[in-house]
Amino acid sequence: MRYSFYPGCSMEGAAVPYLKSFEAVTKALGIGIEEIHDWNCCGATVASGVVGHYPAQVMTARNLALAEQKGLDIIVPCSSCYMNLAITNKKFIEDDHFQLMANEALGVAGLRYNGTLKVRQMIEWIINDIGLDRIKSMVKRPLTGLRVAGYVGCQTPRVFPWTFDDPEQPVFFDKIIEALGATPVKFPLKARCCGSSHSITKPEITIDAGYKLIKSALEDGGQLMVTPCPMCQLNLDAYQGMIKKGYQLDISIPVLFITQLMSIAFDLPPDTWALKYNIVSPFDTLSKYGIKP
Amino acid sequence: MTDLNVSSEPVKYNPDFAKEIYALESGEHVKLCMQCGMCALSCATREEMDYSPRKLFLLMRVGKREEFFKANTMWMCSTCLMCKVRCPRGIPLADVMHDLKSHAIKLGYTERPQATFYQSFWQEILNKGRVFEGGLMARYYLKRGWSEMTKGLFEMRDLGMTMLKHNRMPLKSPKSIKGLKSMKQIIERAQAQMHREEGR
Amino acid sequence: MSKKIGVYICSGCGIGDALDVSALSKVATKEYKAPVCKTDAFLCGKDGVDIIKKDVAEEGVNYVVIAGCSGRVNYDVFDFGPSVVLERVNLRERVVWTQEPDDEDTQAMAEDYMRITLAKLKNLEAPVPFIGEEVSKRIMVVGGGLAGMTSATEAAAAGYEVVLVEKEESLGGWLKKSYKIAPLSPPYTNPEETDLAGRIKKIEDNPNIKVYTLASIEQTAGSPGMFDVTIKQGDAAATERVGAIVLAAGAVPYDPGKLEHLGFGASPNVITQAQLEELAQKGCIARPSDGKAVQKVAFIQCAGSRDQEHLSYCSAACCVESIKQSLYVKEQNPEAAVYVFYKDIRSSGQYEHFYKKAQSEGVIFIKADVTGVSDDGGNITIEADDLLMGSPTMADEIDLVVLANGMVPATAFEDPALGGEAQAEVAAGSDQAAPAPAPIIKSNILNLQYRQGPELPSLKYGFPDSHFICFPYETRRTGIYAAGSVRRPMDMAQAVEDATGAALKAIQCVEMSARGMAVHPRSGDLSYPEFQMNRCTQCKRCTEECPFGAINEDEKSNPLPNPTRCRRCGTCMGACPERIISFKNYSVPMVGNMLKAIEVPEEDEEKPRVLIFACENDAIPALDMAGINRLAYSKWIRIIPVRCLGSLNLIWVNDAMSKGIDGVLLMGCKHGDDYQCHFMKGSELAGIRLSKVSETLDRMGLESDRVYMTEVSIMDYDKIPKIVGDFVDKIEKFGPNPMKGF
Ligand code: SF4
Ligand code: SF4
Ligand code: SF4
Ligand code: SF4
Repeated sequence: MRYSFYPGCSMEGAAVPYLKSFEAVTKALGIGIEEIHDWNCCGATVASGVVGHYPAQVMTARNLALAEQKGLDIIVPCSSCYMNLAITNKKFIEDDHFQLMANEALGVAGLRYNGTLKVRQMIEWIINDIGLDRIKSMVKRPLTGLRVAGYVGCQTPRVFPWTFDDPEQPVFFDKIIEALGATPVKFPLKARCCGSSHSITKPEITIDAGYKLIKSALEDGGQLMVTPCPMCQLNLDAYQGMIKKGYQLDISIPVLFITQLMSIAFDLPPDTWALKYNIVSPFDTLSKYGIKP
Repeated sequence: MTDLNVSSEPVKYNPDFAKEIYALESGEHVKLCMQCGMCALSCATREEMDYSPRKLFLLMRVGKREEFFKANTMWMCSTCLMCKVRCPRGIPLADVMHDLKSHAIKLGYTERPQATFYQSFWQEILNKGRVFEGGLMARYYLKRGWSEMTKGLFEMRDLGMTMLKHNRMPLKSPKSIKGLKSMKQIIERAQAQMHREEGR
Repeated sequence: MSKKIGVYICSGCGIGDALDVSALSKVATKEYKAPVCKTDAFLCGKDGVDIIKKDVAEEGVNYVVIAGCSGRVNYDVFDFGPSVVLERVNLRERVVWTQEPDDEDTQAMAEDYMRITLAKLKNLEAPVPFIGEEVSKRIMVVGGGLAGMTSATEAAAAGYEVVLVEKEESLGGWLKKSYKIAPLSPPYTNPEETDLAGRIKKIEDNPNIKVYTLASIEQTAGSPGMFDVTIKQGDAAATERVGAIVLAAGAVPYDPGKLEHLGFGASPNVITQAQLEELAQKGCIARPSDGKAVQKVAFIQCAGSRDQEHLSYCSAACCVESIKQSLYVKEQNPEAAVYVFYKDIRSSGQYEHFYKKAQSEGVIFIKADVTGVSDDGGNITIEADDLLMGSPTMADEIDLVVLANGMVPATAFEDPALGGEAQAEVAAGSDQAAPAPAPIIKSNILNLQYRQGPELPSLKYGFPDSHFICFPYETRRTGIYAAGSVRRPMDMAQAVEDATGAALKAIQCVEMSARGMAVHPRSGDLSYPEFQMNRCTQCKRCTEECPFGAINEDEKSNPLPNPTRCRRCGTCMGACPERIISFKNYSVPMVGNMLKAIEVPEEDEEKPRVLIFACENDAIPALDMAGINRLAYSKWIRIIPVRCLGSLNLIWVNDAMSKGIDGVLLMGCKHGDDYQCHFMKGSELAGIRLSKVSETLDRMGLESDRVYMTEVSIMDYDKIPKIVGDFVDKIEKFGPNPMKGF
């Protein structure tokens, strides 16, 4: 199995533990991953709000055009990147007028995209292509008894609602947690918004959202949160101090990327767990599984 | 949320403003809003909004242009997509919110911090082809001005320190992408195409 | 034909484990001397059924009693042809599934049910169907609008002859006045041509449809299968014999003259929906005041409808009509501004698509209460309270205001020529409490030769009464089916569906009537009420209480039953103070014998007995469902099914009390405006009759609360244990019936 890989800007910055663990996990699974050469920003949830959808999508399409040269379907771990790439891809496939126009624009840089690739959300890809059995077979350090709140986040299940899961109460993410030997807890807010970039412009929103999420995760005895979304991880991890202060909360809950948890459960080398990047320390929670700093 | 302007003077319906919104990229869909309130109920940030999406569309229908653009509604939207998934009329509300943001910026309604953030983000993309968080923050606070910056930095100081400590905030800006020039050309062409289409 | 009873007890489904089956057989063989009594472990299996078939064929068994599951299941398995009378003792749902197994009280209950059924057989005969003379299978359709034309073509397409009567010069009704109609087919987004000519041609070309135009009905005599309808066309009159009638007389718009508050009359530019159709038909929607093509149009919804001062109901079609008309305006001028002021948009069914279409064409929908409409030289200003804005709003320089003025059924009007008292005869000289007669409005449409009044009884607002949930088309006159906007307000798509449904009902009726069978809800029942006329005192209770007007009066003032009008509810049987009305398989003495067969323990045994009369339509299924769900209930009760609580004769209460039964519970359907009684008035009448029972009980020195009536719907099965339990508790508090042992 070989795929193109679109890391997105956050994996180069705040989400660096995501990148490290993702690369390790895919390697362990024997999957060839090729980063799209010279990729550019997908526009996040922002570009279309400045220049409009069309220019933002054409900008995103540059990545598709670059990937098509290798002919490999694209794996996208980040939720916003997935949203932009997948929606743009769908437009190329379904809307002839769009394809014509966008290719004219791409043409100024000698690029062209024919809509031959699939854009795959990482979680969906893990379940459908790699398979839960394969994941289970890789587990060398079963996380038995670990109660994990699977925080899917808002965009991942809602970009194409009902295509691979329920957009409001998704279940697919919990299946991966289960495959790692851990116990997914009831977490009714698992697809609620984390406050996104309000963390910069109106942190109250992020802090309030974070408090609600953590409370929901703790309610069913969650000991750890995992997420596939860089924004969610950052907001819950980095802002947890402020959340605790603002709401007089005295429990902490570590927030890991799903690939970090996979790397631990697969018992890959400790540096690939990338736990030193986690602001809320996971070591207390994980010590019982032999995880030490 | 604020109540809609309740005045004793009858408000006169002005259908022209709605046409302006209908002309936006996803604006056509807004025609179908039946004021059911599902979006208001679903919105992650409705408590912060001056008007829920439903009420915003109501203002549009009545023709209250100024209130419409001054409202923080679109800026509060975090693109969580819940409303888009639930709207019984299939209105892609999050997309509409993005249209409204870019339209508001175009019209000069840029005083909200979110508008600044959006503009900074875009500048950052145009600068290197990728977004460097440090650069984004610098741009943002620079634009917001010194007072907000000191206030912001004070609030965020601890946060910044912890992030640095955990290597989550690289200080060195990465290099630009190689195809930066061609990416910008592509964007410019796309913008030109869009203007042409709008002109029709 | 001599009776030979065969009793077959099934011990399957847990019956044999919970009950002493041989003791049960002894009840049949020893107490009731049944000549044949057999037990089988799997009676509904092929071998079990064969045992019975063999006895029928070889032993001459002609009364078969099956003690096992409920009569509501396996009826197809236990079918031994019309010459065999079949009774079922429900040991499974009613005893084994609700009671303690292997218990003496459970056994006593099972044995009582065996006794009740065997006692029933004493007075039970196989019914002989009533077959009328010169029975017709033709169907008359009254009204040649969309609904009427649809009923006619549908019935004819099914092979039935149709007589179509229209009061106007040509067919079409509302279609004639319409420019286009709301779409009747997918994608439900664009107004459709009326296709009036095509629809008329279809009728004219059909040799099975005979059309009378410019015609009215002078009188409708007879009964289903044998209606004789006199049709007047100018001076000529013709009589047609038909089997059933579809009433599709339609509706008329609400009188806009009463809508002055919305500007009607004060400005020529305020018009009705019908007037807009006229303008559109002429080819240009222009202001009536000066002929200027319209730029700005406003629709005011619910003009008169949903308004306590006018019509309190929703007219159901006007939202869709306004949506359609707003599209006319947009078709003529896409730039025209169109406002629709509404309370709620009720574009039901597929018309959500139509609503969306109007929105996407730019029609603006405003949820508002209109507070004023004023005219300034042809330009109209509407003031309103915008309910979503929460503020007063206005729209000015409107060229045309269209009032969505709703509809009133054709049956709601009195013909002054007939005197105008919209009342049936009041219950005449009787000491019994009687219900208020249903309003019958002399609308001069059918002119029924029924003692109970010339038109269909209505429930509210002049619409013909029908069992809204289960039997919407069936009016309170058997064989006459209402369809379209005369039945209830509706749009055209619904009217087409309605008309088709009513045609089907009319077909069922002519077929059943020809075979001497009842129509719904006792479809297929061959029994009918017979009168022992020599004992009749001419009190007229039966003619008045029959919910279906089945009983006329002959020249000598004797009741004159019309069996094909009858629905076999037994209300007349319950009403008759002389108890002279009975069915071959249902009668006052028969139920009397059944309840007397219950064994009432001595007072000191402290085992009370509560008798439940349960309506077969809802209460019995609910009781069965309680059993299916294994809901345990009191062991002191004994249930006797009745056709309808309306058939309850007070003598039964008397008999039960004299016998020492401690309490009587009546379970029937809900009554009142939103009744669910399958015979419409039965449960209400039972309630009225029951109000008299306290006197009787007082005379016997008993608490009147020992008899109680309750409403049970099929959905209430989960409440059965509580309903029953509460009543039994109450009875236990009263203590034993002092009549015990007399
Ligand atoms: S959910 Fe959709 S139709 Fe309902 S009020 Fe919101 S935008 Fe309008
Ligand atoms: S996408 Fe925006 S407007 Fe819609 S629910 Fe989420 S935050 Fe609210
Ligand atoms: S159909 Fe619409 S306009 Fe007509 S009465 Fe009902 S709600 Fe009012
Ligand atoms: S009361 Fe019932 S049974 Fe009696 S005549 Fe009328 S419909 Fe028939």
